[in-house]
Amino acid sequence: MSKLRGAAAIVGIGQTPYYKRGASPHPELKLALQAIVGACEDAGIDPADVDGFISYASERNDAQKLMSALGTKEVRFASLAWIHGGGIPGALSIAAMAVATGQAKAVVVYRAMAESSTQRLRVMVAQGDTAAQYLVNGLESPAQILALRSQRMIEKHGVPRDTLKAMAQATYHHARTNPRAYGRNTVLDDETYDNARLISEPYNLFDCSRENDGACAVLVVSAEHARDLAKKPAYILSAPMGTLNGGGALEENIRPYSFAGQVGVATRMWAESGYGPKDVDVAQIYQNMTGMGVGSLIDHGFCTPENAGEFIRFDNLIVSGGTLPVNTSGGDLAEGFIHGMGLVAEAVRQIRGDSVNQVMGAKLSLMTGGPGDTMSSTGLLGSEETL
Amino acid sequence: MDYKFEQVKIVGGIGADDEFWRGLERGEFCLPTCASCNTWMWPAHFRCGSCGAWEMRWNVVEPKGKIFTWTRSWYAFDRVSERAEDVPYVSAVVEIPHAGGARVMGMFDGTMDGLNEDPRIGTDVVGHILPPSEKTKGYPSIVWRPVASGLRA
Repeated sequence: MSKLRGAAAIVGIGQTPYYKRGASPHPELKLALQAIVGACEDAGIDPADVDGFISYASERNDAQKLMSALGTKEVRFASLAWIHGGGIPGALSIAAMAVATGQAKAVVVYRAMAESSTQRLRVMVAQGDTAAQYLVNGLESPAQILALRSQRMIEKHGVPRDTLKAMAQATYHHARTNPRAYGRNTVLDDETYDNARLISEPYNLFDCSRENDGACAVLVVSAEHARDLAKKPAYILSAPMGTLNGGGALEENIRPYSFAGQVGVATRMWAESGYGPKDVDVAQIYQNMTGMGVGSLIDHGFCTPENAGEFIRFDNLIVSGGTLPVNTSGGDLAEGFIHGMGLVAEAVRQIRGDSVNQVMGAKLSLMTGGPGDTMSSTGLLGSEETL
Repeated sequence: MDYKFEQVKIVGGIGADDEFWRGLERGEFCLPTCASCNTWMWPAHFRCGSCGAWEMRWNVVEPKGKIFTWTRSWYAFDRVSERAEDVPYVSAVVEIPHAGGARVMGMFDGTMDGLNEDPRIGTDVVGHILPPSEKTKGYPSIVWRPVASGLRA
C-alpha cells in the first residue's frame, strides 16, 4: 500500500455560487479568493496560514497573484497538475504529498473560471493545443472528440445507448433537491431527453456538461493536523494520476480506445487503497459527457461492456435504492461545471454526512477525474473508519 | 515546392507531421515508419519509442481503410466555424490496416450517384485528397468515401 494512504485529509470546502457562463459579477481572481477564504473559514484556519497552492489544467490564478490578498505568510509549495479535467484527483494527490513530506502545512486545491476574464470554457479547456488533424476535419470541441469514443463504445462494443440516458437522468434527478444546482428546475423525463437537440452524435444537449462561472476550493492538511480541526476529515486514501502505455495525446490513436482511459489509475487506486468497486458507497463521476462517465464506470470495474446495460440503470444510480448513487449534487451536467471541481466538494460532503442527497453512513466516496483526457486520475476518499 | 498550409500553420498537438500535409498537398497519402526498425509511427513523432531512433521514413500509402469511428456534428463549434453551413457534417477516424493500423481523420461523404450511405464502423472507405480550402483552414485534406462492392471507389 502507498505511504500516502490516509496521510492527508480534506478539511475545508469553499464554493462561490454557480453563475451563468459570462455572467459572473466578479473576475476570476476574486472568485478564486472567495473560494479559498471560504474553504479556510470552513476548516477554521486563517487564510494567511495557507502555504501551498495547487490547481490543474489552464488555471491562471496562481499563488503569486493570490498571496497579497490572502495575507500569505509564506508560499512554500505551488504546483499545477498538467492535465485538463483529468487532473483533479491528481491535484489532491500532489497536495497530499506536499503535506505528508512537510513541504507545506495547509494546501488549497482550487479552480476558478469566469468568461469575462477568459474565453468560452470549451475553448479555454483546449488551451490552444489542438492538433491540425482535428481542426482540419471539423473537430475542435471535447464534445465532438469524446463523441468519437462513445460512438465506438456503443456501435462496436455494444454498450446500450440507454446507459447515457440513465447517467443523465440520475444526475438531473439529484440536482432537483440541490438549491445550488443550476439545472435544478429541469425534469429530465424520457420525452425531454429523447427530443433534445443533437450536439455531436451520439450526444444530445443533456449528455454534455454545463459551462459556468465560479470557483471551488478545498483545503488539504496532514492527517494529524486534520484531527484537531472542526470538520470531520475526508481522508485521501489514494488518488493516482497517469496513463498506461498506449495512452497520451495521440490524436485518436490511443489503445484501448473506447472507454475512459482510466484502467491504469483505477487499478492502482484499488491496490493502494485496499478497496474495490463493491466497497464504494457513493461516486462523483466526472462527466464532460455522459458516455465518458459510462466509460469511467467500466474502467473502474463497476461493470463490463457486456453487463453495463444492467448496472447503469437510473434506479441503480440514485440515492434512494441504488447500489451506486452517482453525482449526488447534480454533478457536471446539472449542478454546474467549474471544470469538474465541484465534484470534490460533494465527495467530501458525503463523508461528512451533510450532502443534500446524503447516502446514509457513507464511508468510501469516489471521485473520478476527467475521462477521455490525454491522461487522467481518480481518487478515493474515506472516513476515519476506512483507514 | 511552396506548400500553402505552411503559411497558416496550426500550432497544436505533437507537430511532427509536416510531411503528412506536404504529401497531401502534392496529392500523395504518406505515413511514417521508423527509419531504423520500420515500426509505423502515427501520429508522427520525433523519436521512435520502440527502438530509440530519431529518423522517420515517409511512405506513400494507398488511401484505403475502414471506418474506426465517426461523429456527426450538429452544431457550428467556435473554432471550426468555417463549416457552419455544412452542419450537420460527419467526421471520421479511419484505420489503415496496411500502415500498422494507423488511424487517420478525415471528413466522411456517403453521397454518390443519388445514394446516401450512413457512416458505420467497419465500412471500407477510400480517401480522396482535396486541395487547401477555407473550410480546412488552408490545409489539404482527405474525404473518405465508402467502397461499395468496388463500384463507388
